[in-house]
Amino acid sequence: MFLALKEIKREKLRYSLIIGMIVLISYLIFILTSLALGLARQNTDAINSWNVNTVVLNQDANVNLSQSLITDKQVKDQGLTGKDALIGQISVVAKEGQHDKISSTFLGIDNNQFIAKNLKLTSGHKMKKSHEVVVDDKFEQSGYKLNDKIKLNNDDVAYKIVGFTHNAKLNIAPVIYGSLSDWRTLKHALPQTEASAIVSKTKKLDVSTPLKAYTTNAFIEKLPGYSAQNMTFSLMIGFLMVISLIVIAIFLYILTIQKLPNYAVLRAQGIPSRVLVWSTIAQSLILVLGGVIIGAILTTITAFTMPAAVPMAFDIPALAAVGAGLMVTALLGGLLPIRSVIKVDPVSVIGG
Amino acid sequence: MTTAIEMSDINQIYGKGIAEVHVLHDVNFKAEPGTLSLIIGPSGSGKSTFLTIAGGLRTPTSGSVKVNNQNYHDSSRKELEKLRLNDIGFVLQNYHLLPFLTVRDQFKLVDKVKKNNNLSTEELNTLLKQLGIDDLINKYPTELSGGQQQRVAIARALYPDPSIILADEPTAALDSARVEEVGKLFSDLAHERNKAVVIVTHDLRLRAFADQMFEINDGILTKAAIDL
Ligand SMILES: Nc1ncnc2c1ncn2[C@@H]1O[C@H](COP(=O)(O)OP(=O)(O)O)[C@@H](O)[C@H]1O
Ligand SMILES: [Mg+2]
Repeated sequence: MFLALKEIKREKLRYSLIIGMIVLISYLIFILTSLALGLARQNTDAINSWNVNTVVLNQDANVNLSQSLITDKQVKDQGLTGKDALIGQISVVAKEGQHDKISSTFLGIDNNQFIAKNLKLTSGHKMKKSHEVVVDDKFEQSGYKLNDKIKLNNDDVAYKIVGFTHNAKLNIAPVIYGSLSDWRTLKHALPQTEASAIVSKTKKLDVSTPLKAYTTNAFIEKLPGYSAQNMTFSLMIGFLMVISLIVIAIFLYILTIQKLPNYAVLRAQGIPSRVLVWSTIAQSLILVLGGVIIGAILTTITAFTMPAAVPMAFDIPALAAVGAGLMVTALLGGLLPIRSVIKVDPVSVIGG
Repeated sequence: MTTAIEMSDINQIYGKGIAEVHVLHDVNFKAEPGTLSLIIGPSGSGKSTFLTIAGGLRTPTSGSVKVNNQNYHDSSRKELEKLRLNDIGFVLQNYHLLPFLTVRDQFKLVDKVKKNNNLSTEELNTLLKQLGIDDLINKYPTELSGGQQQRVAIARALYPDPSIILADEPTAALDSARVEEVGKLFSDLAHERNKAVVIVTHDLRLRAFADQMFEINDGILTKAAIDL
């Protein structure tokens, strides 16, 4: 530690440059992680808020909610309990005179079932009759107000916003909760169509063909674009980790190589290589810890100044895990120079 | 009294086959505590090789080395390391001081590794004064001249209070007045503090301080008369 600190103190510019580099990398990793989490949540917020374990779709729907239709007979055969709820999904474009159009997901639900019952509002009241809707607060952020009348797709029917709810997003789109009969109208579905899916709090739900039960996780994985998006972010974060590994390894390697003649003298003088190895490890730890802490501070500042509309989720455990990953990376990056420290030959400096 | 260094029938051969160089030929050497041994020879004669073998940094091709009655051959790497830390002070030709440590911290580093039996603060101050570097204690090596660095390196080697001092061209960067002082310092260490001092050099100016003198030519060590 003595050597590591003394050297950093003496070579401030050199080491601030490296720390600066690590700050940028860790900041980028933190922001990307938050963005990835934020987007992932916008895919699943609505589903998560229902606390369901099973999603029942038509087996021919290819695990795609918008392709699935369930008839009243199938619902009757299934026999719904208090733990089950129907949803009818359709993608719509919502518009209202002066405000921006918003691409949304209309979810028809039954007022007597748990989704409607458990719906938490930030303002207004739940829908009581058809043509009333409760919408995600994304609408509020875009300037919509209670009692605004919105039109969906090309329909002439106006829907009245009677309430706002928080974190109701499905597949990135804000959710418009309405009645199942309104959904049937929007969907132009046959009268015997009952819903798109049954969601259930029951873990292992028995269903009969043509219905098929999926776990909520399996359903989420199949949300359009969801897996691809997560994979992209994981790859980017992974690459950044590798880059930081290389940066740290190269810098420490160069710095160490320059010191090898000095280290050889120390070895000749009987200073154990353990001391020199520890100094190298301590240095990489100090550099990364410094960089990650400053990166974390920048991320915190960013979190507080970021407009609510940006889909970012600053999840402390996730970010801490990423930070720990960077620390491990730094240790790995220190291995290369440590090898040359261990192999330094004290004889090499004597002679000439 | 135990002999400080005893080297018997040392041969050192570098390389193999056509590239083979026989650098030391049947070298026998003995140094007692309280004496200054001077080994004089031209460049390439094998002086540094001799010193690395004496200091346990290199195992000779054949022959044996005993330091304070400890045979290098029977010692582990760790034991040799400990021996170098406690009993041997190297003053090297390339006086590599750690560039990011002040003069003071060069000594502090020794304290970190070897907790006991280093020079006391007064002893160190006296040594630094003797070497004329007592006012440079807060300077970094890059802020010192070559001669000053050399003297710091000498002080650094003496700081752990070793019983044996091995010096490779210790006066290379010094002017004549300094050579006198450093020569005096080494002979005081031998005579007043009972150390075994071995200096290899091509610098004839150190002759006056020697208790025993050798010449080395093409790896052959021969005893020489002091009043050459
Ligand atoms: N590691 C080595 N491999 C091969 N030859 C070496 C090696 N070290 C030294 N030599 C050769 O051994 C001879 C003596 O070198 P050295 O002991 O450094 O002499 P001096 O210190 O007297 O100048 C030189 O010819 C040198 O080239
Ligand atoms: Mg030499």
